[in-house]
Amino acid sequence: MRDTEATLPADPQAYVEQVMAEIAEEVRLRRASGDLPPKLERELDELFLAHSPVAGRGGDLGEALRMVDAATFIDPVVPVDSERAAGAVVKKGMRSLLLWYVGWITHQMSQSASAVSRALHIVDDRLKELERQVEVQRVPGAAVVEFPALHRPDAWWVEPAVAAVAKAPGRVLHAACGDGWLVRRIAAAGGDAYGVDPRSHVVDRAELGILDLRGEGVAEHLRAVAAAGLGGIVLSGTVDGMAGGERTQLLAAIATRLAPGGTLVVHSVSREAWDSAGAPPEADLSPGRPLRPETWCRLLEEGGYEAAAQPGPGGEDFLVTAVRSSVTTPYSPPER
Amino acid sequence: MSAAAGRPVALHQFIAALNPHDATGTHTLKLRDALRAAGWRSEIFAEAIHDDLASEAYKHWMYPEHAAEGDVAIYQFTTSSAVAGYLAEHGLPLILDFHNFTGPEYFAGWEPRSVQRAATAAEELALLAPRAVLGMAKSPFSERQLRRAGCRRTAVVPVLADYGRVTAPPDPRVAAELAALGAGGGADILFVGRIVPSKAQHELVKALWAFRRLYDAEARLHLVGGTSSFEYNKALQGFAHDLGLAAAVRMTGEVSDASLAAHFAAADVYLSLSAHEGFGVPLVEAMVAGVPVVTRGAGAVAETVAGAALVLTAADPAYIAAALQRICSDDRLRATLTAAGRRRADEVSGDAAAARIIDAVSEVVTR
Repeated sequence: MRDTEATLPADPQAYVEQVMAEIAEEVRLRRASGDLPPKLERELDELFLAHSPVAGRGGDLGEALRMVDAATFIDPVVPVDSERAAGAVVKKGMRSLLLWYVGWITHQMSQSASAVSRALHIVDDRLKELERQVEVQRVPGAAVVEFPALHRPDAWWVEPAVAAVAKAPGRVLHAACGDGWLVRRIAAAGGDAYGVDPRSHVVDRAELGILDLRGEGVAEHLRAVAAAGLGGIVLSGTVDGMAGGERTQLLAAIATRLAPGGTLVVHSVSREAWDSAGAPPEADLSPGRPLRPETWCRLLEEGGYEAAAQPGPGGEDFLVTAVRSSVTTPYSPPER
Repeated sequence: MSAAAGRPVALHQFIAALNPHDATGTHTLKLRDALRAAGWRSEIFAEAIHDDLASEAYKHWMYPEHAAEGDVAIYQFTTSSAVAGYLAEHGLPLILDFHNFTGPEYFAGWEPRSVQRAATAAEELALLAPRAVLGMAKSPFSERQLRRAGCRRTAVVPVLADYGRVTAPPDPRVAAELAALGAGGGADILFVGRIVPSKAQHELVKALWAFRRLYDAEARLHLVGGTSSFEYNKALQGFAHDLGLAAAVRMTGEVSDASLAAHFAAADVYLSLSAHEGFGVPLVEAMVAGVPVVTRGAGAVAETVAGAALVLTAADPAYIAAALQRICSDDRLRATLTAAGRRRADEVSGDAAAARIIDAVSEVVTR
């Protein structure tokens, strides 16, 4: 495959950009044809996670402690099996000669490991007690809050949202995606879209074989996305009810996962609609309430985006479109 | 900053570990030679010195035996080291030669010790950057990091690497072995770098799996480089095994220069999906060797390749597989990328590279 003789393009940069677009189209067609179902890609991730150490699988202290306990005892009686006839005899002799020395060392190591294990169990007990206390004061994560009249394919904001991300420089994530109605629209406009939604019952109903939809929350999902791995993100029904800290963490995660030049689209209901009698019960149960469009623009501009807000025709909702600066800067929440 | 009368200023380099076949070690040795050629006195002081380089450097605590008025320290900043505290304590005029370091977040859940070490490195950078008279970064990406850490004066300068090693005569035994593997067909995909979570070799394995499933069932992945992460290395091997790729993913460990040259000579494409790179010397080595590059634009990668590679914004296996297929099957694209790669390699290598560092240093230190 080396030493090829081919005519070089007059404008290499434009040629490479054209190739990149063709590769993106090839991927889109492959996905549409079902050659590489999204489910398989998810299974790859899960398979690798199964090989990662305990901390990499979510930091289960209980499981880690069980591993520590299992490894605490160090056996000084080494195996003596050998493929050679005299090997086992020689090894056994060496083991007998050295056992007094090795045994003394391993005994101390086992004692040391036991002491560490005991200390870790005490820490575990105290942590559990702290967790019980914290649980009482815990602020629950925001649920998806969807208004039937606003979160639907023929809503006014869908067209501008799709236009904003259809040509994004990379994959486009929609949260919360529901049964994938917006993912389908973005894909039809030429974008490579997928979705996440914590409401597993909604995702289960979707056409999972065709659409790449995942049953998880947006923050949880972004933690597993590579840096600058997304070209566009559409948030609808996810951020309105978030508490301040949860929203800040989400924006910080987006700042690292969205590629420079990528687009963030936020659809939010207005405070009036949120407090209206027609709002769904999830609105009442949410720890936070929607921000105003001006606040969104300011937050995003402070985070390195160029942001613009577009009010909905009935005053019930608005759309914020923000393009991330092409210069990478880490997101740091403004001090307030 | 000038010397005492009659004696040239000494520009001594300090480094955590001086190792052969290591990008920072090579850079340090070449910079020492360039500084001497430019008329400065220059020695290397290190916390750890590889046996093969014992005659090239002194332990850092031996510096007082060589100290003279007007000395300036150049610190090769790569990771946390006792050298950082030593330099802060001694108050020498300081130039930071910043190679960047991998942040603690990339080791979280894998290597607790590396997490701690990376966090300490960040603290040491914050300690030294405001004191430095000059911060030299290997990329604009790293330069921004230096600025954020408090460095007031900065410059972007090249890495002094031994790029010629990839075009040197290849190890005949390794070349024959790779040729035998290639005789059965299938593309040879190469990545060079330590096996650590931040280099994301598991993403390479996923990409290979997708590439074999969709386009080339005989493709192979060559992972060249040692490891400093036992857990990640073990997970990677288990992952490849479970995917039925144990034979298709070749993990060579550390190799000689001649073996490295053989791997570059046999490669159809160089693929990097690193989550973090402060510069990425192997990317330039691939360009020198005439191997087209497919890469993710993480860290300084896009700045290093400067348009001479397929820089992917998405890292999912389907994209990577499609890009690999395109590059392996499109002669015009290969020719375009290899031509651009050689031009880019010329820009960051050769004698001009050392001259750029000498120029940057000369602006703050007189000979």
